[in-house]
Amino acid sequence: MSKEAPAPRENMGAPVPRFDARLKVTGGATYPADIPVADLAYGVLVTSLVARGSLAQLHTDKAATVPGFLGLFRHGDMAGTQPPKFGVAASSIGPLHGDRIFHDGQIIALVVAETYEAAMEAASLVTAEYDEERPSAGFDTQGTETTPGAGASPLFGEDVHAGDFDAAYAAAPVKIDEHYSTPTQHHNPIELFSTTAAWRGDQLTIYEPTQNVTGWKTELSRQLGIDPNRVRVISPYVGGAFGSKGPMTARTAIVAVAARRLGRPVRCVVTRMQAYGTQTYRAETRHRVRIGAERGGHITAFGHEGWEVTSRPDAYVVGGTIATGRLYAYGSVATHVDLVHADRNTPGYMRSPPETPYVYALENAMDEMAVALAMDPIEFRRVNEPTREPIGGKPFSSRSLLACYDEASKAFGWSDRESAVGSMRDGDWMIGMGCATAVYPTNIAPCAARVQLMADGHARVQCGCHEIGTGIRTVAGQMAAERLGVELTKVSVEMGDSALPPAPVSGGSNSTASVCSAVMKACDAIRNRLFLAVSGEGAPLAGAANSGMSLGNGQVIAADGRTVTLADAFATLQTVLIEEYAEFTPKGASPQALKKLYAGQPEFRGGERDDAVKYAFGAELVEVRIHTLTREIRIPRIVGAFAAGRIMNPRTARSQLMGGMIWGIGSALQEETEVDPRNARYVNKDLQDYLVPVNADIGDVQVILVPETDPQVNPAGVKGLGELGNVGTPAAVASAVYHATGIRVRDLPIRLDNLLT
Amino acid sequence: MANRLSRIRLSRRNFMVGSATAAVAMPLVGARAGSQPERPSETIRYTAPVKLTINHQPYELNLDLRTTLLDAIRDHTGLTGTKKGCDHGQCGACTVLINGTRVLSCLTFAVMADGREVTTIEGLAREDSSLHPMQQAFIDCDAFQCGYCTPGQIMSAVGCVHEGHAASEGEIREYMSGNLCRCAAYPNVVAAILQARDETRKA
Repeated sequence: MSKEAPAPRENMGAPVPRFDARLKVTGGATYPADIPVADLAYGVLVTSLVARGSLAQLHTDKAATVPGFLGLFRHGDMAGTQPPKFGVAASSIGPLHGDRIFHDGQIIALVVAETYEAAMEAASLVTAEYDEERPSAGFDTQGTETTPGAGASPLFGEDVHAGDFDAAYAAAPVKIDEHYSTPTQHHNPIELFSTTAAWRGDQLTIYEPTQNVTGWKTELSRQLGIDPNRVRVISPYVGGAFGSKGPMTARTAIVAVAARRLGRPVRCVVTRMQAYGTQTYRAETRHRVRIGAERGGHITAFGHEGWEVTSRPDAYVVGGTIATGRLYAYGSVATHVDLVHADRNTPGYMRSPPETPYVYALENAMDEMAVALAMDPIEFRRVNEPTREPIGGKPFSSRSLLACYDEASKAFGWSDRESAVGSMRDGDWMIGMGCATAVYPTNIAPCAARVQLMADGHARVQCGCHEIGTGIRTVAGQMAAERLGVELTKVSVEMGDSALPPAPVSGGSNSTASVCSAVMKACDAIRNRLFLAVSGEGAPLAGAANSGMSLGNGQVIAADGRTVTLADAFATLQTVLIEEYAEFTPKGASPQALKKLYAGQPEFRGGERDDAVKYAFGAELVEVRIHTLTREIRIPRIVGAFAAGRIMNPRTARSQLMGGMIWGIGSALQEETEVDPRNARYVNKDLQDYLVPVNADIGDVQVILVPETDPQVNPAGVKGLGELGNVGTPAAVASAVYHATGIRVRDLPIRLDNLLT
Repeated sequence: MANRLSRIRLSRRNFMVGSATAAVAMPLVGARAGSQPERPSETIRYTAPVKLTINHQPYELNLDLRTTLLDAIRDHTGLTGTKKGCDHGQCGACTVLINGTRVLSCLTFAVMADGREVTTIEGLAREDSSLHPMQQAFIDCDAFQCGYCTPGQIMSAVGCVHEGHAASEGEIREYMSGNLCRCAAYPNVVAAILQARDETRKA
C-alpha cells in the first residue's frame, strides 16, 4: 500500500494495478489511430474560414495536381446518405449535406491522398469563396436568439422550483444577488481525434476513439442507410475523452463515404487546431444567483438563473439547476434556464457538464453568503444540510457530505484558518483558504455483459464499454474475480468493440455502476448453475443449500464447510466452460429500456429520477498563495474528501478524483477558449495558448475516500466519481482567493490581472 | 434568405497580402500551413533514402522529405507506441530519445535523425522483456489513466533523470512540464520518477 494505492477502508475493493498497465507503459496499448490497416490512404479536412453564410465556390484544381492526390469530397458528395441526428450525433449539422455554413471551422471538404504529407499539401491548396453574413459569436453580440432551456431536451424537462421564492427572498434579513460566469472550454484530450474507415465488401469497420461504440454503430448505419449489423466500431483504448468522444461528429460518415468511393481504407487524424471547430466543447454560461437567509444562517430562498450558449440549429442544454436546486435545505427555490443560439458549433458534454458551471455559481454564492452572515463557510453548509431535497421532498439514498467536510477539514487543518480576510501571510505571499462542495448524480443505465468461467479457473468478461482511462476494464475484472472466486490474474476483459454485448455511452459517470451490475448478474447466473450442479443428488456437495454456497480460491464452498474444486464441479456438468449473457436493467427502467440499449439510446436512471435522490458528494479545501507584488496565484495544496458508495478500486478511484481536482484547478485559474466577438472564431486553438495545468502548476493533492455504503443505489452499490472531483474546485479556489485578498472574482478563470488593485 | 454582405475570395496569396485587413484570413489547414511556400514547388516533393536506427534495429526508408520523425516512426516502421498529441511540440506525447537525449519527434524531420540512434518506448524494456525501472515505477505509482501521454512521459522521465534534473520534487515538476497529461496524473508521475531515479541512473 502507498499513497498512490491506498489501503481499502470499509466497503472498498483492493487497490490492484490496472489490467492494462503493462501495455500502457510499453507502448503496446493500441489506440484507434495506431491500428495497422493495409493500403491506407490519408485524409485531411478543409474547414470554413467564416462562421455564417454559404459556400459559393470551392477551388480544388491546384489540390488535384499534388502527386499522390486521390480525391476530394465536398458539398454534394454525401448524396444518398442522411444528415446526422442531434443526440447520439454531436450536432444536426451535416456539413457536406448542404452549402450552408453554421460556424467557423465547419468541415467544407475532405482531401485524400497517398501520404499524410501529400494530403496536407493538397488540403492547403483548396480555396473557398463564401457568401458571408455577419455572425453572432455568443453573449452580447447582436443577432442571437434566446429560447427556454426547459423542454429543449429530454435531459432537461422543466425549471425546478419549490415554495414561494419571491416572498421568502423579499422577507429575508440577509441576502445576496450576484452574477457569475464560466468561459468556453475545450476538452483537449491529448489523443487527437481520428476516424479510420475500412470497407470489406458491404461491411464497414470504423476505428475511432469513442465513448459509445453501440450508439455510433446505429447512428452511422442510419446515416449511411445500411443495416447496423454491417457496421462495426472498434475503439480498444481511448486517449482521454472527458465527454469529447461521446457524441459522433459529422466526420465519421464523411470518411466512411470517402473510403467507399475510393475503394480503400481512409484514415483522417484531425489536427489539434481543427478539433476546436469540428468537435464539441463546453459553452460559456452566465448565472444570476440570489440567496436569502435568516441571521442564524438558514437559507429561506434560493434563486438560480442560467444562460447557456448553443448553436443555431441544436438546443444543447446542460441545466445544472436540477442539481443546484436540490443541494441544500433551502426554504424556497426558483430557477430558470435560457439558451442563447449563436453562430457556433454545437456544444457537447464536457466533464460534469451541468455541475461544473452551475455548482461553481452556487458555491461561490454560498461563500459570499457566509461572508455576509459572518459565518465559517463550512459551518454555513452544516446549518443548511437537508434531510430531504427541497424540490420533490425525496430522501437521499445516502449523503455523506458532512462526513466529507469533517475528514477534509481535519486533514487540511481548517481549524488553523484565521477567518479575517487578508489575515494570513507568509513573507511576500498572501495566504487564502477556501472550501466548496462537490456533487454529482449517480447515473445508471441498462447494460449487457457476457462472462465465461473455465474449469481451470480462468474467466473472461466481454462488454461493449470503453476504457477511457477510468479503470473500467480493471474494476469489471475485479467484480468478476470476486463473484467467481478466481484469481484476478486469470480474468481477461474485452471492451471497446460494438461486436461485444452493448453497454451504455461512457458518460455521466455511469459505467462502473452499469457495467459492474451487468457483470455481477452474469457471474451470479454462473454461480447458480454451478451451485445447482454440485448440490444435486450424488454430486460432490449433495444436499448443500444453494443460498449458503460461495465461490472462492477456485472452489465451490458450502455453508457447512465442504468444498469441491472448480474442475470437479465442472465435471458434474460435463463441461469445461460455463457462459452466461446477462442483460441488466436498473430499477424503474421502462419496458423498452433494453431495446433502446441495443439501439444505442440507453435510458438513464438514478440521480433525481428515482424514489430517492442518488448523488455522490465531496468536500474540497484549498490553500492559495498570491504574491503581493506580481499577484501570481499558486495552489500549494488541495484536499478533497469524497464519498461515492462502494469503491471498487481505491487506486483508480483516487487517481480519477485527483485528476478531477486538477481539472478543477485548470478551470479555476487557466482554461478559456477565447472567442473573437467580431467573427465568432476561436482564437487560441492549440495547447500553447489554451492553458491547461502542467506538472509545475500542481502541488500537493490529497484525496480522501470516505467510506459509504448505499445498497439502495444499484446492485453493485457503486456511485460514479469520474465527474465528481472537478465540481467543487473552482469555487473553492475563488473562496480562497477572496480570503487571501478580499477580491471576489465571479468570472472564471481567475487570473492575476483580476487581482491587480 | 441569406444576406449577401460580402463575397471574399481567399487564397494563400491574398492571405499573405491582405492579412492586416481581412478579418477572415486564416490558413485553411492549421498544422503546417505556416511552413509551406506560397506556391507548390517541385522541390518539396523529393523523397530521400533515410537510414534510421530505432531501438538498435536498422530501417532503410524512402521518405517524403517533409516526413517528421514522428510520422516516420508511426507510419513507416509500425512502432505506434510513440504518440501524436499536437504535432506542434506543445504536448510532449511524441518524446523519444536521440542518442540518449529527449527530443520532440514531431518537430524533427526524419532526415535529421539519419544515422542517429533513436529510442522509443518499445525499446526501453530490457532484452529479456523485463521492464525498465521507470516503466515499473509508472505502474506502481499509477502514473497514468488513459495512457496516451504515457510513452512520452516515460521517455521524458528517463531523459530528465539522465540530464540530472531530478534532484527534487520541484525540479522534477519543472523539467517534466513539457509533457502534458490531461488526465492529470502529475503527482503520480513525480512519485514514479522519485521511485525510479536511482535505478535509472545506473541503467
